[in-house]
Amino acid sequence: MNAESWNLLLRIGLITTAGLSIAAGLISLVLGTVIGIFRVSPVGPLRVLASGYVEFFRNIPLLICLAFIFYGLPKAGITFPIFEAGVIGLSVYTAAFVAEVVRAGLQSIGHGQIEAGRALGLSYIQMLRLVLLPQVFGMVIPPLGTVFIALVKNTSVASAIVVPELMYQAEVIAGRYFYPNVFLIAGFMYLIITLPLALLVNVMEKRSQIGHRR
Amino acid sequence: MKVWRLLMVGIVIAGLLAACTAPPAGTSGSTGKAMPKAADGTLLRKIQDRGKIVVGVKYDVPMFGLLNPTSNKVEGFDVDVAKEIAAAIFGNPDAIEYKEAVSKNRIPFLQDGTVDLVISTMTVNAEREGQIDFSNVYYLAGQSLLVPKASAIASINDLAGKKVGTAKGSTSEQNIRKMAPKADVQLFDGYAEAVAAMDAGRLDAVTTDDNILIGFQAKEPNKWKLVGGQFTKEPYGIGIAKGHPETVEMVNKVLADLKKSGKWKELYKKNIPTTPPEPPIDNWRQIVGQ
Amino acid sequence: MPSGPIIAFERVNKFFGHHQVLNDISFQIAEGEVIVVFGPSGGGKSTMIRCINRLEPINSGHIVVDDIPVHDPKTDINRLRAEVGMVFQHFNLFPHLTALDNITLAPVNVRKTPRNEAEGQAMKLLERVGIPEKAHAYPGELSGGQQQRVAIARGLAMRPKIMLFDEPTSALDPEMIKEVLDVMVSLAKDGMTMVVVTHEMGFARQVAHRMMFLDAGRMIETGTPQQIFTDPQHDRTKLFLSQILHQ
Ligand SMILES: Nc1ncnc2c1ncn2[C@@H]1O[C@H](COP(=O)(O)OP(=O)(O)OP(=O)(O)O)[C@@H](O)[C@H]1O
Ligand SMILES: [Mg+2]
Repeated sequence: MNAESWNLLLRIGLITTAGLSIAAGLISLVLGTVIGIFRVSPVGPLRVLASGYVEFFRNIPLLICLAFIFYGLPKAGITFPIFEAGVIGLSVYTAAFVAEVVRAGLQSIGHGQIEAGRALGLSYIQMLRLVLLPQVFGMVIPPLGTVFIALVKNTSVASAIVVPELMYQAEVIAGRYFYPNVFLIAGFMYLIITLPLALLVNVMEKRSQIGHRR
Repeated sequence: MKVWRLLMVGIVIAGLLAACTAPPAGTSGSTGKAMPKAADGTLLRKIQDRGKIVVGVKYDVPMFGLLNPTSNKVEGFDVDVAKEIAAAIFGNPDAIEYKEAVSKNRIPFLQDGTVDLVISTMTVNAEREGQIDFSNVYYLAGQSLLVPKASAIASINDLAGKKVGTAKGSTSEQNIRKMAPKADVQLFDGYAEAVAAMDAGRLDAVTTDDNILIGFQAKEPNKWKLVGGQFTKEPYGIGIAKGHPETVEMVNKVLADLKKSGKWKELYKKNIPTTPPEPPIDNWRQIVGQ
Repeated sequence: MPSGPIIAFERVNKFFGHHQVLNDISFQIAEGEVIVVFGPSGGGKSTMIRCINRLEPINSGHIVVDDIPVHDPKTDINRLRAEVGMVFQHFNLFPHLTALDNITLAPVNVRKTPRNEAEGQAMKLLERVGIPEKAHAYPGELSGGQQQRVAIARGLAMRPKIMLFDEPTSALDPEMIKEVLDVMVSLAKDGMTMVVVTHEMGFARQVAHRMMFLDAGRMIETGTPQQIFTDPQHDRTKLFLSQILHQ
């Protein structure tokens, strides 16, 4: 492969993919946690809202979600720049999966602890912050890791809305120079991001197990 | 009772429809008698003996070769040229077997004899001339610009800093980068996506061959206009396997008659929703200036 | 200030769906009293004491605790709950926190006690329940009896006026029951107001001022341990006592 191709892949593609992953990862973590909490909230309308959100985004293809933001929203006068459009689409989509993980984590905590917290006079917010979420984040690290690794791979779908990430660059290079191996090389670059992420998840999982034994 | 009546009405309507869609004999192509048999052993003689000609056309290119899903027939400018050739050989424009030719397989199809002719928006160039023979030029496409109706862009010189969309891996991408190096080129999976992005206000122009752009323009004439003329030349020729001069000669004769008689403009008007230009000159090298 | 009863139930009714779990319950408990609640399974004992700190809503009637109308929507329920400690059958400690942090959680976050002060108190409570050396252990590292003693310390950390116990020893192995009961006995002797659901009749004899027999949602009988054990008024009370005492 020529220097121009390496430049496109590494300097633009890899950086953009990493940027998309980090930004969408953080936003979906916050958004998904809030929605996951809503799903088991004592307030009925919040539960309905959150379930609707999760079922909607979990059951549509990511491409449709991105295409809606890219092609559809501008018709309503809302035009996000390309990179932001990619981040938003990936975030709202991934948040649905994060929400499910968080919900499952919250529901796995025994009702007895919640009673004990209430009996101690903890408010709902204090209960979440002090009792539920610290335990949830400990136990959801492995499934969340899976969600975030999927997110990194899903960033490739954003190539369809012209986000200049790895897959986009690979397609451009393939079309321009006919290097059949460019996709293989791009695949290895995804590994550059996903493998350390998987490793980090393992380390965090071990650390959280040392934190409290059951 | 009611059901029976409905059924009868249905059958009658279906019959009428069938009668309407069946083409009355001799509406397209010049009907008449078959040409005299060519010499033994030639491709043309083989075609004549077979009683039909096998032609590779595109099935997915509007205006040139497009499979109509309701009639299950291919239609377009390329198809009509094929019918003219069949009419010249057999006196029957429908003595054709169509095969779908995509860009990847059309040259192998000729080389292994799967098809006799390829008429599929194929640009003639020196590289391809090394692999197959070409007829004279029958259509001249060229890269152009599709812009919103109100756009101030009038030519390729107005694209500095503008967002221009085209398809990944296309020659259009390479051309626009060369000819408008200051344009912000954005690459889509296909042209429809690029036009949709322009519709969403995300692009200032979409560029590729004008015959593709004309299709988009014709669908939404109030939204788009073509500007900038043809800043590249894509002369289309009919492909024929190497070593069949009698077939090339026969095809060239049909094309010459089409161009001379005014029939070429008729076919253009029938398929392409813009005012027909003069037919292209025969020699592709002269057109591209090589 | 005239000191009325610290807990008062007045014609309390509660349903789960169509099933009436508390049927016209009325009683009063004075400050410093130790009450033992007993009765057959499903009789409504847990439900009744869970109404005292509004872990359960009621359908009709009134409950007043420390002059606060418990089920009045205007009541600051978390303030009330801070006055009432509760100990559960299954301990319900927070597994991600050490014994010490379990105990200081509410003082630090609800009462805003400075952490070092709260930890000092927590250490005293751990000494009182006999396991100061377990301050930095996680619940998963403690035996059942130790966990329940931490839970009692946690309940005491808010300096409550009332302690509720719902079958605090019934999930424990026999050899651990005594260590928990000892803590409860010493609490009772210190004058804490206690409502204890238990079938530990030795404990009842030793420290209860009054006993309440609850069956099918009704308060069948109430009296001193002396009256209940030697002269129960109702056949059902007799029958139940004979069953649990002759196991
Ligand atoms: N959340 C609930 N929903 C529906 N019914 C319930 C609920 N909690 C308790 N019940 C029912 O209410 C009745 C009283 O239950 P409660 O737990 O108060 O009895 P208990 O006297 O504490 O019994 P045990 O000795 O088994 O603990 C039972 O019939 C029980 O099935
Ligand atoms: Mg109970």
